[in-house]
Amino acid sequence: MTEMAIPLAADRKRIRRRRRGTALKTVRVVAILALSLLWLAPIAWIIATAFKSPVDVLSLDIFFTPTLENFRRAFGPNYMLGDRLWNSTIVTVGTLIVAIPVSTAAAYAFSRFRFPGGAIWPLGLLATQFVPAVMVIIPLFILFRTVGILDTPLALIGVNLSIVIPYAIWMIKGFIDALPLDMEEAAMTDGSSRFRAMIDVVVPVAMPGIVTATIFCFVVTWNEFFFALILTQNESVTLPVSLMSARTDRGDAWEIMAVIGLTIMVPMMLISRLVQRHFLKGLTTGAVR
Amino acid sequence: MNDTALKWGLLAPAILISAVMLFYPIAQSFWYSLHDWNLTQSPDLGAFLGFGNYVRLLTDDPEFWDSVWVSTVFAFFSVTITISLSLAMALLLQGSSPLEVNVRTLLVLAFAMSPALVGISWRFLLSPEFGAADAVIKWLIPGMRDVPILADTRTAMAALVLVDVWHWSPYFMLTFVGALASLPQETIEAAQVDGAGRTRIFFGIMLPQLRSVLTVTILLKTIFSVKMLEQVITMTKGGPGTSTSTVPYMVYETAFRWYDFGYAAAMAYFLAFVMLILAMIYARLTMEGVK
Repeated sequence: MTEMAIPLAADRKRIRRRRRGTALKTVRVVAILALSLLWLAPIAWIIATAFKSPVDVLSLDIFFTPTLENFRRAFGPNYMLGDRLWNSTIVTVGTLIVAIPVSTAAAYAFSRFRFPGGAIWPLGLLATQFVPAVMVIIPLFILFRTVGILDTPLALIGVNLSIVIPYAIWMIKGFIDALPLDMEEAAMTDGSSRFRAMIDVVVPVAMPGIVTATIFCFVVTWNEFFFALILTQNESVTLPVSLMSARTDRGDAWEIMAVIGLTIMVPMMLISRLVQRHFLKGLTTGAVR
Repeated sequence: MNDTALKWGLLAPAILISAVMLFYPIAQSFWYSLHDWNLTQSPDLGAFLGFGNYVRLLTDDPEFWDSVWVSTVFAFFSVTITISLSLAMALLLQGSSPLEVNVRTLLVLAFAMSPALVGISWRFLLSPEFGAADAVIKWLIPGMRDVPILADTRTAMAALVLVDVWHWSPYFMLTFVGALASLPQETIEAAQVDGAGRTRIFFGIMLPQLRSVLTVTILLKTIFSVKMLEQVITMTKGGPGTSTSTVPYMVYETAFRWYDFGYAAAMAYFLAFVMLILAMIYARLTMEGVK
């Protein structure tokens, strides 16, 4: 009797444990779905709002008749989304075109030449990013006003460079540090100058690092809000700042805000997998302003 | 071209840009902070005050200390909640099943949103008449029915904190996923064989090994929280009253609403001093991590 009861009890225990296992798995999946809902529902709601008529914006119904009217209005003379999009593009492209070669050159210099104090220089540059933005902006505002470039893309490219270059140098330097010296030396004994060896040999091999830095700079510059808010008035307003224009005295045009928001998000969605891989790698080297 | 020329040639553009856009404004705003200068009264720098602005700041400005308190409360709650929640999320999503990987990628979308867009979107979602999140919250918690979330002193701060948690948790979640993956599996498996429960394994084995990652992330999030400004501008504008007016927001208002540049610069320097201390601790910890 007892001899038979022992395996039975063990069986029962195993079954109970398995049941607990499946119950736990269900709890896990439910928790994961709840999390996704908590993060995606707000974003989905904003995207849906971009396609709602102003009347539907005020209702909480999930179903509505989609319209493209908001896009027509957003691109019209009141909100000039086309201009804002153009400004954002110019500022972002302008920043990247300058930042990436400048940072790559500096990263090579920091990696390959000796400096008293070693890594303290690129690290010190990175540490300037802990300085609050509100402190840097006051003298820059005065400077740009004196030079007469307030409210131009040039001013925005300038400040974005100051945010982005310290990170980019640090990120690209890490990759160049990991490359062996042999390849450059081989190219140099073949008669290339050191500069040529850098361009022809080091830069192609360091490309993954350069791509990481480029994506990081793209995300930061595209999303930058505070400096653009202070430094622009009408002419060179960027997308994130134009979000504020949907808030008027006569009430908030949320459907227009949603259209602008969607425009800001589209490139991020397109590259979200890349962002997951590269942006985070970049962020762990420091902090964003 | 010799090496020395090449070295400085390669560095020159980066040095030039940093000099104009970083070192000049950092030095210059210290100079401003020593002067009385209101842009509405004079286009040029006013009287030299020495450390007068700092003395006023530290001894005679209750509003400033009020904002220090607001920043402290914000930083404390946003750091604690973000870090614990993102660690829990990492435990939940650390696997490599398609569901977990895809949810991770989707969550990152929230983090890649412009901070301004995050703030303004949540202002919309929390608006009392037609905010979707507002409706859900009031359906879940009937006691909140008459509370205008962003217009009530207590709930405005809670909203500011939770939106910040929403924005940052995906990023720290990924950091923790990486950290969890790098933990040695043997001890965990050994403990499982010995019959230790999940809770015991987490608190007894995993948490102690995550200590250095936790220290760095907590400090990093503290720096981000102390600097946070975009959401205040787009969500609450410091209100209601001054209940969400953090130090960076007060500097911003003093400089670009009242144009009191000298005093604003002094406030900014005080904030920078706090940041410097935090950054130095951070640098120390990362350097130790590198070793």
